[in-house]
Amino acid sequence: MALQDYTNDMFGCSRCSLCKWIPQNQVKSWRFAKGCPSMDRYHFHAYSGSGRMIMGMSMLDGRSELGDAVAEIIYKCQLCGACQVACMAVRDDIDLGDVLLEERARCVEEGFLLPEHMEFIESMKREDNTLGMRKADRGNWAKGLDIPDINLERVEVLFHAGCRYSYDEDLMETVRNAVALLKKGGVKAGIAGRDEACCGGRAYETGYQGEMKKYADDMAGRVKASGAAMLVTPCADCYYTFKYLYPKNGISLDVEVLHITELADRLIRAGTIKPKRAVPMKVTYHDPCHLGRRGEAYRGGWSGENKLDRPIRFKQSGEKGVFEPPRNIIRSIPGIEFVEMERIREWSYCCGAGGGVLEAFPEFAGWTARERMEEVASTGAEALVTACPWCVRVFQDTIRETGSSLKVIDVTELLMRSLGGK
Amino acid sequence: MISKEAVRELEHALGAEFVSCEPAVMDGYAYQPTHAEILGLETKWCPYRPVAVVLPHTTEEVQAVVRICNAHKLQFKALSTGWGIWNAPGSDNVVQIDLRRMDKLTIDTKNMIAVMEPYVSGAQIQAEGMKSGLNVHMVGCGCHASPLASATSLMGPGCSGITTGYSPRNVLGVEWVLPDGEILRLGVPGQGNDEWFYGDGPGPSLRGIMRGTLGACGGLGVFTKCALKLFPWPGPAQPKVEGVLMDAKVEIPGTHSSFLCFLPNLSRFADAFYKISNAEIGYFMGKHAITGALLAGCMPRAYKNLVKSETVRSILTALQNTFVIILCGRTQREYDYQHKVLKQIIADCEGFMLNIGHVPLLHSMLWWGFIRNSLPPAIFRAGGRFTTAFGGFETIDQAVFQSKIGAVIKQELIDSGDMMDDLADNSWGGLYEGSSCLAHQEELAIFDPREPKQNEGVNKYIDKAMEASTKYTITPGIGFGGGGAVPHMLGPLIYNYHHWLLQIKETLDPGNSADPSFFIAPEAEKEKYLRDYARRRPQVARLVEDILAADKKRSDVP
Repeated sequence: MALQDYTNDMFGCSRCSLCKWIPQNQVKSWRFAKGCPSMDRYHFHAYSGSGRMIMGMSMLDGRSELGDAVAEIIYKCQLCGACQVACMAVRDDIDLGDVLLEERARCVEEGFLLPEHMEFIESMKREDNTLGMRKADRGNWAKGLDIPDINLERVEVLFHAGCRYSYDEDLMETVRNAVALLKKGGVKAGIAGRDEACCGGRAYETGYQGEMKKYADDMAGRVKASGAAMLVTPCADCYYTFKYLYPKNGISLDVEVLHITELADRLIRAGTIKPKRAVPMKVTYHDPCHLGRRGEAYRGGWSGENKLDRPIRFKQSGEKGVFEPPRNIIRSIPGIEFVEMERIREWSYCCGAGGGVLEAFPEFAGWTARERMEEVASTGAEALVTACPWCVRVFQDTIRETGSSLKVIDVTELLMRSLGGK
Repeated sequence: MISKEAVRELEHALGAEFVSCEPAVMDGYAYQPTHAEILGLETKWCPYRPVAVVLPHTTEEVQAVVRICNAHKLQFKALSTGWGIWNAPGSDNVVQIDLRRMDKLTIDTKNMIAVMEPYVSGAQIQAEGMKSGLNVHMVGCGCHASPLASATSLMGPGCSGITTGYSPRNVLGVEWVLPDGEILRLGVPGQGNDEWFYGDGPGPSLRGIMRGTLGACGGLGVFTKCALKLFPWPGPAQPKVEGVLMDAKVEIPGTHSSFLCFLPNLSRFADAFYKISNAEIGYFMGKHAITGALLAGCMPRAYKNLVKSETVRSILTALQNTFVIILCGRTQREYDYQHKVLKQIIADCEGFMLNIGHVPLLHSMLWWGFIRNSLPPAIFRAGGRFTTAFGGFETIDQAVFQSKIGAVIKQELIDSGDMMDDLADNSWGGLYEGSSCLAHQEELAIFDPREPKQNEGVNKYIDKAMEASTKYTITPGIGFGGGGAVPHMLGPLIYNYHHWLLQIKETLDPGNSADPSFFIAPEAEKEKYLRDYARRRPQVARLVEDILAADKKRSDVP
């Protein structure tokens, strides 16, 4: 699909501007009513979901040209999907998120590239990861863990760590905790170690759609070779790629794909693991966009012409994302006081890291994280619990910059504290 | 065109980050499809693109922008939440002032007043007000719209009007940057500031000059602050709501319930409105054509199939004269009283009513959808867009008469295959100011702008509605479309109100720097506006020529 294939979606926009807010039913205060970080930071209509569609129409109609300034607007967006949720509350015929993806693809096709994005694309091509690290070091995070290597033996579950968890030293403990959790739950999981590669999702999101294909094929081959019936990842970005981008592009992994929180929730509910140790702490939970609304499995596949006639089951409205499993885990831990923010679930506010923003516009990423941290502070929580390495990264960086006393904890790590560590 | 010098001055006043002349950015303000068809405009791109877009943060910055525009012979046009064709620039010389960065809100609980800047939404005010047992009047288009814009510059009816008045009547004070850049403050700010005193100012109504019936749509300057009256909210401080709209699950107080009231014909429908208005019961009340917009919005695909069945059509048609009323009691006794009175009224009017409270999920969706006013945009689900006609503030009988005419016109167009079938009667409207018996009914029509035939059909509908309006001298409503030319055409039919508008415009804005295109064309531009309008709507060409000929005759008199 190309941008022009979404002409009807774009022209459907009535410019009502609902895309700038969280769904109106959920507005609980003046302070936390808005939903689009890009709009909140830059204000011109062009930065909203509607404005981005209007820009697309403007270019297709020859009223304006794609240039550096327009490309910058297109890329100053985390692709968090909040606009799509708000729009789809009242519309069935606009796939806003897909329009945003196609505008980026057009930028790449026409050569309007951001150096910071090219850097990680080059890194992917060279080293199979987005972080500019050596491929040979990819499996180092698992050193000392007694976990099967799928290159040597077949497994029931393939554990895919993802680029950020594989290389970010601050986060390695989290991914090691995840493996320990699997072991405690009796899950026979294996890893690909240094042979694991990027899922390709970030390339697709930044407009390099073709790049994802080879990673998807590679991933499908690895899953098949492992003999696994289940693919588990602790990375929300990878999860979204497996659940949405691959199927949207006709790529099937032919296994059940779970986020680590979904599996942990299952294990708790089955009584296989029991959080017993109290963790006395007041916490709130931040829904990662890629696990929440954008983690909703691909619901497309409808081939009609007029989306007004498209059955609702095909509507990617975000409410079937992963929301309850991480909350169930938190609630299962003794001693925890769990409080919710106002913007949660499919109307959650973004952390700021997605869509290539962290790499290309770190100031904007930090601004967004600070906005979210103010909402955390309004709850009185001492810790923000989340389930995505990119969210954790940007929050930790922002905490360091601002001197905030807020703690950021991955839900897996929190669970392991209650389970009594490794 | 805008000069580099003017851009430099704007950047100096606001900061370069808040000024844009990028075509793709400015096109975000040149695409205002909603209700463009009413003016005979293309439903995609507006005729004009702004020459620059600016984002002021304070009243003083707005003032600076206005003064720069005056100095450089540019016009300006402000918008807040910015939905609708009236936000669009009306010439090729307009600086668009996007007030998005002005979004402060203060609630004065004791005096029941909200003081807001332009980019505060109805939902935000309601959410904060409810925490103190207060609510704001919600504009019919939805809670994401700006109450300031509605109260100062547009029409502003909404179905909570039975207990919350309507926007123009609720203005207790404004901060207003006049077309020459002077700042005028009127009325009460609700913050103990001695500079502003009381609601309407001394002497004749300043609100009438400031906004009239339909509002000046930016044609008299920029409103940067507004004090609005709040009203008691007899419900929870923060209703517990799950879901985003159609999937809503809400804890509804036991002393609240919603009713669908069916009347046998429009006459009895109007009777019920009068009786309810006089009985002073109900918290929310409005006609939402259950067989049209509401059903089509809630279940668009099923609706399209249902209306194909003659049997179902006959049932739906029999149920067309329907309204929704929500009763909210502070106590069980109060609720019981209201319920008893409602039952009696409906029985007296030979109707029947359904308590939606017996269908919990539907009640959740409707109760909060109506109270929060999040439901109106769901009308998009059926066709993608909608238009409106008629809808002046009137007596109940006249309002109902307007919807009846609208339905007749639409039925003809549906029969000829020119319009989407919504069973013709698709009007919405409510009662305003409690027992005043003031009402309005707009006759909506759903259409898909991507279907050329439906675009044509909608244009035919507007043409015929305009014709009917002039024939029956119906009071101006949103369906008249405003527009700089329209008052010159309708004025002679309606007490020559255009003379007043002209005098106000030319007194406050002799330089015509505030874009007049959705208010009234000044005398010097009248011919251009009228001829433009006649070009877009040929059926008024004769009327336009008559007006211009009469003008010429008058000017020829020594």
